Amino acid sequence: MRAVITAATGMAAQELNVQVISNNIANLRTTGYKKQRAAFQDLIYDHVRRVGAQASDQGTILPVGVDLGGGVKTVGTPRLMGQGTLLPTGNELDIAIRGEGFFKIQMPDGTYAYTRDGSFMMDAQGRIVNAQGNPVQPTVTIPNNSSGLTINAQGQVSVTLPGSTTPTTVGQIGLTRFINKAGLKPIGDNLFQDTPASGAPQDGIANTDGFGDMQQSNLEQSNVEVVTEISDLIAAQRAYEMNAKVVSAADQMLQATSQMFR
Amino acid sequence: MENTLLIGLSRQVTLERQMDVIANNVANVNTNGFKADRSLFQEYLMPTAREDNFAPGRDRRLSHVLDRATFHDFAQGSPDQTKNPLDVAIKGDGFFVVQTPEGERYTRDGGFQINTQGQLVNASGFQVLGNNGPITFQQTDKQINIASDGTITVLEGTNRIDSIRAKLRIVNFSQPQRLRKEGSNLYSIGEGNAAQPDTKSTLAQGFIERSNVNAVTEMTRLIEVSRTYTQIASMLQQQHDLHRTAIDRLAEVPA
Repeated sequence: MRAVITAATGMAAQELNVQVISNNIANLRTTGYKKQRAAFQDLIYDHVRRVGAQASDQGTILPVGVDLGGGVKTVGTPRLMGQGTLLPTGNELDIAIRGEGFFKIQMPDGTYAYTRDGSFMMDAQGRIVNAQGNPVQPTVTIPNNSSGLTINAQGQVSVTLPGSTTPTTVGQIGLTRFINKAGLKPIGDNLFQDTPASGAPQDGIANTDGFGDMQQSNLEQSNVEVVTEISDLIAAQRAYEMNAKVVSAADQMLQATSQMFR
Repeated sequence: MENTLLIGLSRQVTLERQMDVIANNVANVNTNGFKADRSLFQEYLMPTAREDNFAPGRDRRLSHVLDRATFHDFAQGSPDQTKNPLDVAIKGDGFFVVQTPEGERYTRDGGFQINTQGQLVNASGFQVLGNNGPITFQQTDKQINIASDGTITVLEGTNRIDSIRAKLRIVNFSQPQRLRKEGSNLYSIGEGNAAQPDTKSTLAQGFIERSNVNAVTEMTRLIEVSRTYTQIASMLQQQHDLHRTAIDRLAEVPA
């Protein structure tokens, strides 16, 4: 019976839905995390009686047909790139992006990865690095013994050198944008890689040409909303149960058939 | 003599199909923009096979069951706020138009994306059409705003004034029941049906239209179908027993 298989596709889809939701909830407090959602589509239909077919030689046509659907499929788990709220941290190397753009990080193998997580640190050479120790691009080196590190909205890093009263600009942190942010590939560690779907990375300067601005001493929180996730979780769970109910009802029907004419 | 069996069977076959329709509705309970299907049955009078042992002198026709149609329930699905600027829900009878390799298709699923060419596409990657064809955004566009009539405006670069990008094409149909479900949340236009511009529907940005499958209704129908099927099975069983007893009794040779 087709209903069993149809309901099984529904159960599989809801299982994946719960998986996506649980990952969102698990990353509720992950800096710069962007939530995902599961997008579903119906499967191909079996047109048992085709709508619009000729019903007689008088030219009358069937106003409605018999269409049997085959269930549901997952078409993707697009990421919702909405802005997360900014949380002041007081740490001078925490940067949040307000608006478009990603920080560009150089990976150990020389490739680049992109992130919205601006909780940076300084390494032994004085470079600004991310939590994995990979330098933020373009590389900014903070001179030894300097003080009063400030990062302005354009990403310019300035410090006050010993014996000087005016701040000196030591570098500028750039931003990178993509035409299709949702097409970026997540590689873990809050990092994304560009893909053919995301389009080529376009480097630029914060607060210009539609790029967002940088907020020093702030971190961008995850854009996951607990209430939405929990209500989605309940909906997914109920949908799973209902599909299971369909399987057991179809099973009862099959049982009735197999017990006929004992 | 075997009419009970055949009539019962005709009902069981339609019940199985109805079950398939319910299963598909339930499987798509979380599919955005999905419209539930309903089954219609009709009595099918068997013109030749007649039962002549009813009331004396009377011929009665036998009624079989035929599943005549499944029809789409185009009731509005509940809008769900997602706050995603590329989610659009239609309030009214309208449909979005997407360009597929097979031609124009229609959908109620307003969960859109932007592709590498900056075009507005649906989840399958098909271009969403505006009044002047595909809708393309520039790289410096931000703050995409979709008005209730489908006009898409953006803030371009450092501009303070909105630039109009396109207007979403919304259509409705003279005979929506003739729309054919193609899968992937798409409908194709059936024969004798025409797409006409829809001016009455309004759009809501940041909302997505959920499936209009009503879980309670589907569960009640499910139980109804399942029980009816079992009842017919037991009715056929009784008929079978009746025959067997008759044969046993009649074939008994008196000692």
